[in-house]
Amino acid sequence: MSTPALELTGLKKSFGKAEIIRGIDLSIGKSERHAIIGPNGAGKSTLFNLITARFPATEGTVKLHGEDLAGLQPFQINRKGLSRSFQITNIFPKMTVFENVRCALLWAQGYKYSFWNLVNKSRRLNEGADAILDQINLLPRRDLPAGMLSYAEQRALEIGITIAGGADVIMLDEPTAGMSHSETDYITDLILKVTEGKTLIMVEHDMGVVFGLADRISVLVYGEIIATNTPELVRADPKVQEAYLGAALEEEH
Amino acid sequence: MTDQITTDPSKPAQRMRAGSMSLTVGPWIVAAVALMLMPYIFTSNSALTIMNQMWITVVFALAYNMLLGQGGMLSFGHAVYAGVGGFACMHIMNNSDLFASFPLPVLPIFGGLFGMGLAMIVGAFSTRSAGTVFAMISLGVGELIAACSVIIVAFFGGEEGVSGDRTYAMPFFGNEFLQQIDVYYLTSFWVLLSAILMYLWSRTPVGRMANAVRDNPERAEFLGYSARWVRFYSFVASGFFAGVAGGLFAINYEILTEENLNTASSGVILLVTFLGGVGFFFGPIIGAIVFTLVQTVLSLQTELWAFYAGSLFLATVMFFPGGLAGLMMMHVPVFRLGKMKMLLLPYAKTLIPAAIGILGLCCLVEMTFHYRHAATGDHEMTLFWTTFDSHTLMPWIIAAAITAVGLGIAKMTAPALKEAWDEANTAGGTS
Repeated sequence: MSTPALELTGLKKSFGKAEIIRGIDLSIGKSERHAIIGPNGAGKSTLFNLITARFPATEGTVKLHGEDLAGLQPFQINRKGLSRSFQITNIFPKMTVFENVRCALLWAQGYKYSFWNLVNKSRRLNEGADAILDQINLLPRRDLPAGMLSYAEQRALEIGITIAGGADVIMLDEPTAGMSHSETDYITDLILKVTEGKTLIMVEHDMGVVFGLADRISVLVYGEIIATNTPELVRADPKVQEAYLGAALEEEH
Repeated sequence: MTDQITTDPSKPAQRMRAGSMSLTVGPWIVAAVALMLMPYIFTSNSALTIMNQMWITVVFALAYNMLLGQGGMLSFGHAVYAGVGGFACMHIMNNSDLFASFPLPVLPIFGGLFGMGLAMIVGAFSTRSAGTVFAMISLGVGELIAACSVIIVAFFGGEEGVSGDRTYAMPFFGNEFLQQIDVYYLTSFWVLLSAILMYLWSRTPVGRMANAVRDNPERAEFLGYSARWVRFYSFVASGFFAGVAGGLFAINYEILTEENLNTASSGVILLVTFLGGVGFFFGPIIGAIVFTLVQTVLSLQTELWAFYAGSLFLATVMFFPGGLAGLMMMHVPVFRLGKMKMLLLPYAKTLIPAAIGILGLCCLVEMTFHYRHAATGDHEMTLFWTTFDSHTLMPWIIAAAITAVGLGIAKMTAPALKEAWDEANTAGGTS
């Protein structure tokens, strides 16, 4: 078996005495679309923050393509090909939409801390940014300050920034949170389009999106994964139904 | 929703793309020509001195804005980088063998390198975070180095400072920079070069990321950039150009003292930059010009110039947080809509009485100052070409009346101005 794109072993996180993540083992293969679901407060966002080193883990290891990420800073992890979005929109509100995407491309195109290149002179950089804008359908909004976009557009931009660097492992934290039905459909299509051939890990509340997108689903309850399986089997799992899914599905239908 | 997110190739935003690829050279040519012609318009030696001071302040303020406006770092001790650059240049001037081996126009580079060196040392620990921590470290380092000026006498020259003579440099095409006008052109060359380089810096990857880190350091980290290193590079570049300003100061005044390093100087450059506006590249340039004029021209007229400068700063911060540049740029949309002339009459109706009212207020301030501080028996004072006795009641009544009427009319016409402003900012309608 080839090395998994992302492998978590015995991952734990405590805030003071409260243990939020209580030992997680999870292996996500290359090009897999993996969804993490669970009730509010189960620790889904915390798990994301542990993987991307926004918080340090108390115990356990995170491996990206077989490489241990311990002790790395978020920017170093990003350079290794893991990119994430945030539950609360996290963009550069005062810069234009185009500049937002262009900033996301800089490191990936090898500019580093260059002060001998002019960003306006690089055709590859500007065309790359426009191509991303085209992909996320924000070309008409190109020169507006990002803070002036509608909520759904800001979420789309957030995804655009996340994928722009060409990372092969994409982590999306509730990409459709707070959206209307049509907006959700738009974002779902967008995610399918831009993560083609990449490993996708997403936290999501909308079961329609989860079952539409995911190859496998992990159910996280009180800091532990109680099931990891294909959508059909997760749906049928009595443990899952008891803990979470049944209630959620009943609510929805 | 869906109609909002469709691509429309006829939108101007997409047509502008080709244009945004080229850098505008127009403003720089205008600036270069203006710098060349200024000495022919303002020929007196004192005007040259004022302009030299102005351009030095421009370089320093632009360097400061690399931190404040573009990098989001508020420094309370930036004068030390200019000061140390300046002191280094003075020592090079006093080392006659070394100084005679290169022409004077090269000297500011050394100022820049010393400013940059110090910035590298301080930046190594101060740029870990922006915000309050950075501001406090900058204040501490500023105080520390200012205090060193009386401790490390060998470098800072103690209380009398370090002085030298710029004319001992290798002649530059036969020019020994004896005249003020020679120094003017040297300073002008450096202000233009520094401004262009700082502008170009803001267009480089690290310059763009400085903006990104200012807006949202966390997001920048998740895009592969260390916020700390981005800040460090901005800080070092800013230290370089501050040092260049210090070198120009050394050439101009041929003396540096503790005053060039202290917190008061750091405060002034913050004030200058903020007055001009931190949000635009050219903001600090306007701030430096206006402040230098207030400092030099107004100080010849009144002892209270610092009071007026402070009031101007306060008014700017309170009413126009974007600074003078922000105030100017507010008019760009109106101008684009072709509705500028709609504003002319309302502006005249409000601003002329307001200006008269403010002048009346200034008269009251000056009279109070004269009444309290003039020598005993000296009751005569001159304001606006009128000589009168400040100890009689009549001038007070007249000044108070002018103030009340001027500001009263301004207050009455202000709503009409507001209305005209809103109207002028709305697209469409009759103009």
